[in-house]
Amino acid sequence: MLWRRPAMPQRHKPRVSGSTRGGGGRDQIAPATSNAPALTLDRVTFAYQRIPVLRDVSLEIRTHEFVAIVGANGSGKTTLMRVALGLLRPTQGVVRLFDTTIDRFTDWGRIGYVPQRAVAQTSLPVSVEEVVGTGLAGRIGLIRRPSRAQRDRIEHVLDLTGLAAVRKRRIGRLSGGQQQRALIARALVTAPSLLVLDEPTTGVDAEARSVLRESLEHLVQVEGVAVVYVSHDPEGFAELADRVLAVRAGQVFDVTATQTGEPSERGAR
Amino acid sequence: MRALEFTFMRQALIACAIVAAVAPLVGAFVVQRGQSLIGDGMGHVAFAGVGLAFLVSVNPIVGALALTLIAAVALHRLARGGLPGDLSLALIFYGGIAGGFLFANRAGAGAAGLLGFLFGSPLNLRWTEVGTIAVLALAVCIVVVLLYRPLVAIAFDEEAARVSGVPTDGLVLTLTLVVALVVVGGMSTIGLLQVSSMMIIPVATAAQIARSYRGTLVLGSAVGVCSAIIGLFTAFYADLAPGAAIVLTAIALYAIAALGRNVSSRLSARSG
Repeated sequence: MLWRRPAMPQRHKPRVSGSTRGGGGRDQIAPATSNAPALTLDRVTFAYQRIPVLRDVSLEIRTHEFVAIVGANGSGKTTLMRVALGLLRPTQGVVRLFDTTIDRFTDWGRIGYVPQRAVAQTSLPVSVEEVVGTGLAGRIGLIRRPSRAQRDRIEHVLDLTGLAAVRKRRIGRLSGGQQQRALIARALVTAPSLLVLDEPTTGVDAEARSVLRESLEHLVQVEGVAVVYVSHDPEGFAELADRVLAVRAGQVFDVTATQTGEPSERGAR
Repeated sequence: MRALEFTFMRQALIACAIVAAVAPLVGAFVVQRGQSLIGDGMGHVAFAGVGLAFLVSVNPIVGALALTLIAAVALHRLARGGLPGDLSLALIFYGGIAGGFLFANRAGAGAAGLLGFLFGSPLNLRWTEVGTIAVLALAVCIVVVLLYRPLVAIAFDEEAARVSGVPTDGLVLTLTLVVALVVVGGMSTIGLLQVSSMMIIPVATAAQIARSYRGTLVLGSAVGVCSAIIGLFTAFYADLAPGAAIVLTAIALYAIAALGRNVSSRLSARSG
């Protein structure tokens, strides 16, 4: 088994303390209030060279929630996530992370992000351990070395993602699924409360998809992480989600009921 | 060894080894970021700085340092302002070469003096220049050692680093400034047109062998020093241009490493 399976799956188990997250704990992160908003977009519009990509989008994703964001290629899913994470500035509207407007948000260790890409892109040899360690760079600070707790946390996520045995291997020589798990391990190394995965199954085979599905279930049920899963092909994942949001022509629709067979469509909130 | 009986050879050896050791430490980051040509761009700007220094009668290192640092900030601003990276680099690149020639021509500088900066003239160094190179190299080493982890983070994935709270804008600017220091440090030894090769080729050689990023940096630095020593001695005994000999040695070492890796891969495939 590649990922540690949860001993007793418990949906939306409230987070008690950092020590339950394994390794070195959460390092100064305040525990998230159960079901508090993790990510809020309030009437957000984004235009690229005056061409609107997102139109008046409002949505809220709460802690301990698994939300799938689906839509065709080019519908604006990635732009939506890039705006939500502060990588793009909205033309209008407000983005909040954990109830703080994004301009004032500083606790980036609470966010884990796996960007869209087929595999880890490296021109040079980079070991799995080094890739995972880069996730801590923001928390360690510019010139300090990682603490014992932070090193323990790296060990924990390598173990959690089943990469401990290949930690010294060059990431470019691993399979697509293993590379994707290394990128997820990097996102998890700060023990985030919100994990955003953008097209995480691109270039990944069926077995690796199954492993990823198992791992996401584990993260939500046992580790209490809010997961935002963005994909044009959510097969096998949409049914895990508490809510399914569809992006169409720059607008977001809640299609949770449609995904389960009922023909209804509501607003994203 | 007869070559080391000469002071100019000892000076050249120290200066070239320092530059060749430090350049790959910076090169590893620019290669991973897909900015292998940034050193070339900075070299052209440094040429404009040398030309300007001739025009206003100051030390060429001062002129080159001033213009490359300004260009580093300008390049960063242009890129962050939305101009594509290759276009902003091209503007700096061509502006530098044209400006350098214009300034030097206006100052009445001879071709021989300019060629020394373009292709390196390590045998003409004085101890003060060796000292200046050592100071610039020390500054580069301090930055790389202190900022190693966040630099690796932005080299591997700038967006993910930004989301994890790394101050990416400042680090990218710092990296560009450090490239400028390496270029200025290397202009008298390996030459403005060749110094960026020492940022790239030893790193490419190390990448054939190393298994980790840290290993690539350390091995790249060692390959750089070997290239400098072998190249300089070859130039001395065969009466060749030292800067060119160092770069060609680095390329030869890359070819050997790539061949060795290829043979090793074929043998493993056959035995597996």
